[in-house]
Amino acid sequence: MLRDNDQPNGNPLREGIVTRTVPDPCTVVIFGATGDLTHRKLIPALYNIAADGELPPDLTVVGLARRPKSDDEFRQDLVEAAKKHSRQTVRDDVWSNFAGAVFYHQSEFDNAEGYKSLGKRLEKIEQERATGGNRLFYLAVAPDQFQTILQNLTAAGLNKPREDGWSRVIVEKPFGTDLASAQKLNAIVREAFPEEHTYRIDHFLGKETAQNIMVLRFANAIFEPLWDSRYIDHVQITAAETLGVEGRAGFYEKAGALRDMVQNHLLQLLCLVSMEPPTDLRADSIRDEKVKIVRSLRRFSAEAVAENVVRAQYTAGAISGKKVGGYREAENVAANSKTETFVALRLQIDNWRWADVPIYMRVGKRLPKSGTEISVHFKKAPSVLFNKESEAMAQNVLVIRIQPDEGISLRMQAKMPGTSLRIEPVKMDFHYGTSFGKASPEAYERLLLDSMAGDATLFARADEVEQAWEFIDRIQAAWREAEAAPVHEYPAGSWGPEAADELLAREGRAWRRL
Amino acid sequence: MTAPQTFATGLPVEIGKIERELKKLWEQGDEVMTRASLINLAVYSEAPDALAANTQIVAEVTKDHACRAIVMAAAPSATEDRVDAWIAAHCHISRAGSKQVCSEQISFALSGSLANLLPNIVFSHLDSDLPFYLWWQGEFHDPMDPQLWSWVDRLIYDSQQWRDFDAQMRLVETAQCDATHRVVLCDLNWNRLVHLRLALAQFFDSRNAQEQLASIGRVEIDFAPAFRSTALLLVGWLAAQLGWTLVEAADENTIGFCDCAGEAIRVSLTEANREPVSRCRLFADGTEFRVADLPEADLLEVTVHTDGQARMHQLMPAGRNDPVALLNEELMRGGPHRVYLRAVQAVRELL
Repeated sequence: MLRDNDQPNGNPLREGIVTRTVPDPCTVVIFGATGDLTHRKLIPALYNIAADGELPPDLTVVGLARRPKSDDEFRQDLVEAAKKHSRQTVRDDVWSNFAGAVFYHQSEFDNAEGYKSLGKRLEKIEQERATGGNRLFYLAVAPDQFQTILQNLTAAGLNKPREDGWSRVIVEKPFGTDLASAQKLNAIVREAFPEEHTYRIDHFLGKETAQNIMVLRFANAIFEPLWDSRYIDHVQITAAETLGVEGRAGFYEKAGALRDMVQNHLLQLLCLVSMEPPTDLRADSIRDEKVKIVRSLRRFSAEAVAENVVRAQYTAGAISGKKVGGYREAENVAANSKTETFVALRLQIDNWRWADVPIYMRVGKRLPKSGTEISVHFKKAPSVLFNKESEAMAQNVLVIRIQPDEGISLRMQAKMPGTSLRIEPVKMDFHYGTSFGKASPEAYERLLLDSMAGDATLFARADEVEQAWEFIDRIQAAWREAEAAPVHEYPAGSWGPEAADELLAREGRAWRRL
Repeated sequence: MTAPQTFATGLPVEIGKIERELKKLWEQGDEVMTRASLINLAVYSEAPDALAANTQIVAEVTKDHACRAIVMAAAPSATEDRVDAWIAAHCHISRAGSKQVCSEQISFALSGSLANLLPNIVFSHLDSDLPFYLWWQGEFHDPMDPQLWSWVDRLIYDSQQWRDFDAQMRLVETAQCDATHRVVLCDLNWNRLVHLRLALAQFFDSRNAQEQLASIGRVEIDFAPAFRSTALLLVGWLAAQLGWTLVEAADENTIGFCDCAGEAIRVSLTEANREPVSRCRLFADGTEFRVADLPEADLLEVTVHTDGQARMHQLMPAGRNDPVALLNEELMRGGPHRVYLRAVQAVRELL
């Protein structure tokens, strides 16, 4: 993780310039170049980096997909996408300079000849544009294509770095569907690219607030001394969506909320909020600490799953006053589907810091409002003076809002004005959008630049992914084995099933109101 | 306040009732308005019409940097002793789009001997616990008021406006030494070079290109007539960062340096009627690294030529030479400006 003002690459002219180091020139090869991810995220992100002047000089983009298309047709498609999805207005002069470095290569993913011709084309482009042979392969395709692409890249020798250059691969989630498939996938990737050149994207980690969690914890002296089981009662992590499955039913039916969200995004957030301070800011120092958390998660037996995990599916209801159908009514969803669209969990981290501090997680679709946040609930003040049993007062709660309206708030007790003593909770609230007028870069901008610069801090490592699957698999196995394990129902527009509330209520707690 | 707005100079208020009137202003506001402040930004000027001009600048700057602004227009030579004050709010729709984010501005017009009340007025109206940035427009007075500097966290000025750089810099340095805490010196003239420096720096990010830094033998810079000091700061930056020592200034626009190995470097400055610094070319072993502003576009054209062949062509953002852009650039920064101070020292006798 590089900091501003560092002079990490020995360039004396970089000292004191408040921007990150521009990575080496390289060629980004996007597999799935005509797909949704390329159009909605990758090209707008690359354009924004170019407009900000942070793109490596001579950066070249080669899109690879099955459909026949000329370079110009490809560029025309992309400019439309960039205009629609870029956070900055697309300027003709900046775009035309950027688009001049964008090329299209048509090939089936399983066509060995296509890779050979890709190799030749890359060599030609690298010579013309002096990209130094640095190559970044972005697999913006479904996971079932990974093996084919990686094996063909290897067969064509494209995975090998050239001379002084480097060769890296970015893999999009999901990284497998269970431990076995993740291990298999990791093995396939490892055969083509070493771990240090493999970048597994979890876009949650590219968000400004997710990056700010470490700053909040380790750059402020007031929080860390309180950050353990002596002062923290429990932690809640919520990822709520108003959307249903929309056009993703085919994928979602096989995945469900647990695999789609908890295994990656929510466990990553849990790691950031609960890990020990790393020894330094190097990628592996941070990832070492994160993986220790996943390893420390108490594994569930089948009985423990029944006690600590609630799954549910939305039925017909209403979102913002508009009627919406139930999950099973959606296209491509089985009429008897048991896929969970909501899951709530009670987790334990078995280490010294977090002993006996429950971590509650919930994620769901078709909830009343969208929002992702972490809330740290501190223990109540001792039951003396203002805090006698008869006057149950609220806890101090520190909330880290990941999206939308990124920010941090702290709830505390205050005396209400007046001659009598009345104490009520008040909130100190920090909003990024209010305090800083400048918009944050999109997560993909940060992550693309990091991968070009060889900084893997915000990417998941193989062992993190596998540990996470190992934990999730036990829940999946318990659900499979106990056919009777109930799939609760909740009407669209509610905060989930009663069973999820019960998970906390039995310990005298309640979900935070978003 | 029923509708958010920016006042020309604001509502006139009595000096002793400023905080009370500000409070009223917010009480009348809609619930969708949020007062925000990350810094105290005091702006001092003795120029006529400074109040209106600086109010417009603050209105723009608060779009990106929520602050409590204290805008002061002083006329120390006026015969009448007088202080007038106004309050205003600058409101902008937040990025989230749902609410107005507002910054407060307190304005003062100080005439005659009451202009000496500057520290007192500033101290009375700072938002507590927030950093204090003082933007001093024009030349500093000798001696500078030590009481004021003891509170300043960042002192902002524009050395391009100074008639005697060395004398002004000495005043600033003395004030900095006398201060009981760290005062960061922030020169808006230096900020005119941010994008140009960035464009030049990125040429040398790769290890191979870094080797060429030692081979730079010639530098050519085009500058606008009033911005020779800006061009010299650029030269100072190259010299300080690359370890060049000033040998001679053959004439006003030709400067000789030598590097650590004793090799000569010749710097040529040429007047051109365009941006403050419109072009910079570095020549090293048959390679030309060139950054030039694109006319009619806020972009820099960044190119590398080796033996006449174009090796790289890129467009990068160019900064704007207006007070809002320069101040915004400064407010985005943090930490000390060590590189600036080194650049100044490298060419101080030429400034």
